[in-house]
Amino acid sequence: MRFIARYAKELPNEFEIITVYEGKTHSEKIPKDTPKIKILAKKHPAAIWFERKMYDDFGIITEDAFDTRPLVHQERFPRDLHPLRKNFSEINVQEDIYRPYKYEAIQGDSVFEVAVGPIHAGIIEPGHFQFSMAGEDMLHLEVRHFYKHRGIEKMLEGKTLQEAKPIIERISGNETIAYQLCLRDIYLQATRQELPLALQKRHAFLLELERIIHHFTDLGFIPNDAGFGAALAFGSKLAEDARRMMQTLTNHRFGFGAISWQNGFVDLLGIKEELERLRQEVAFFKEWIMDIPSLWDRLDTTGRLDIKKALKYSCVGVVARASGVAIDRRINPFYIEHGFTMASEISGDVAARFKVRLAEVENSLEMMEHFLEEDETSMILQSVQDGSYSAFAESSLGELYMAIDIKEGKIKRFFVRDPSFINWQALHIMMRSDIIADFPLINKSCDLSYAGNDL
Amino acid sequence: MIKFWTKRVQLGTLTRYPQLDKELQKIQKEIKSHVKKKFAGSLAIRMVDSGSCNACEAECNALANPYYDLERLGIYFVASPRHADVMLLSGVMTFNMTPHVKDAYEQMPEPKWVITMGDCPAMEGVFEKSYAINAPANNHIPIAHHIKGCPPSPREIMEGILEFLKKM
Repeated sequence: MRFIARYAKELPNEFEIITVYEGKTHSEKIPKDTPKIKILAKKHPAAIWFERKMYDDFGIITEDAFDTRPLVHQERFPRDLHPLRKNFSEINVQEDIYRPYKYEAIQGDSVFEVAVGPIHAGIIEPGHFQFSMAGEDMLHLEVRHFYKHRGIEKMLEGKTLQEAKPIIERISGNETIAYQLCLRDIYLQATRQELPLALQKRHAFLLELERIIHHFTDLGFIPNDAGFGAALAFGSKLAEDARRMMQTLTNHRFGFGAISWQNGFVDLLGIKEELERLRQEVAFFKEWIMDIPSLWDRLDTTGRLDIKKALKYSCVGVVARASGVAIDRRINPFYIEHGFTMASEISGDVAARFKVRLAEVENSLEMMEHFLEEDETSMILQSVQDGSYSAFAESSLGELYMAIDIKEGKIKRFFVRDPSFINWQALHIMMRSDIIADFPLINKSCDLSYAGNDL
Repeated sequence: MIKFWTKRVQLGTLTRYPQLDKELQKIQKEIKSHVKKKFAGSLAIRMVDSGSCNACEAECNALANPYYDLERLGIYFVASPRHADVMLLSGVMTFNMTPHVKDAYEQMPEPKWVITMGDCPAMEGVFEKSYAINAPANNHIPIAHHIKGCPPSPREIMEGILEFLKKM
């Protein structure tokens, strides 16, 4: 049974702990004055961040926890403040005294540590990586994040879905369409409405467009991190072309505000031509890049994640599919009807993740053509009814899960589990047999989100 | 590899957006001459993200793609604040990033300038003040110039940099 998420809700007199598995949700109520839960991280390692986060957010203590360090709250954040509790309403938190964070480190003769971050050398998001090294070999890596924590879960409480929409769109710029699709599904559940097929197709088109933009960027950056810069020039050019298509279709280069209740494809012929051109470029890119032995020498066998570990760590998305795990939220009749085939590799290394991305781009371009439709459908939303709703979407990174509780038309609890939140926790497994110079390559091949992870 | 170069030579320079490229060329020319005059031909920028959604970073990365190619104009994104003339700051100045942003600013050699990009650092965007947000950024470090947009497109970033170069 695949573990998906674990989070808490505050009720008037108790806490409710929700644990989400594939096809099953488990709920448990604990008293408010002695909030204690049993550890799940021993069975599902990926649960550890959820449990540490629950302490920071609510002060819920995990019994027999082997790791009680704060996760979201860093050195200067006051202890004993639990911002997600309903009685917490402070918006100006003063810096407290500096309490050093104790990193996981391997000790021993000639073992040393390398600290990287939070600000990195390139144009990327902030996060910290602490390596334990013996010579060039990486013995261990601790991934430490939440530098970008914006307090979005709290920010959205008390808002209507309409008011929350622009914020949800901007949780993670790379996955904005996927976040909007989750919100769309929650809207539909809350208004007890069905989505017309034409709109469903338009939204699916935009999701695939977002996917190819993200994958094009990675298909450039992965070889670039192995020292093959020409691929970056090629990949970033394709990404820019696709982004301009997004601009034409949605009036925004990233698609903020793109998921609406109105269909209106403009210039079908132009888009078809553009898709055909992209397909040719991808074919050229594939033929070219597959034929460079010195590049594949770097990509093959680097950053291996075997299927056992991928399952144990509940991995999702490209990372899971490259290790031979068949997880994709698009495995459903609607997508299969429009030409979906799941990309999959078994070697679980950087090369496999690269190939999965390439195959997904090819498949997405094919599906996008089938999603095109000339249609002017629009729908009118009914009023939102109270309740607990949840939705999944397959973003370019992997499976996204969103849950919203609505009471009197307003958000009572907002929870999102970004695919990165799971996959980051498996990153340290991938570098056991590699040297530190491989780290950027491995990290880029997973291309996880920091913003979506940190919220 | 041979195939790649053959195609490259056969195609020559290709543009699919002639109007946009023309306008870009004008901006590029001006940027180049200002960088030459005011920064001896080389302007080093350190990009720092203080809690954005990653869209601003994606647009900054796009500045390096063949359409915009900022490096040609003498503008480099450098790996350390100690090499930088300008810090390009995005994001909402989260509680957790604030000390690191200040640290990076202190590490920059004088003279130094900070340009904020996107609506977040000025709190003009959709995010509201929360326990984890310390924006606006000018409460923490001096800001020389601001580039609006959510996120600003590569072209708007170039125009913003040009504006900054003109007024300094």
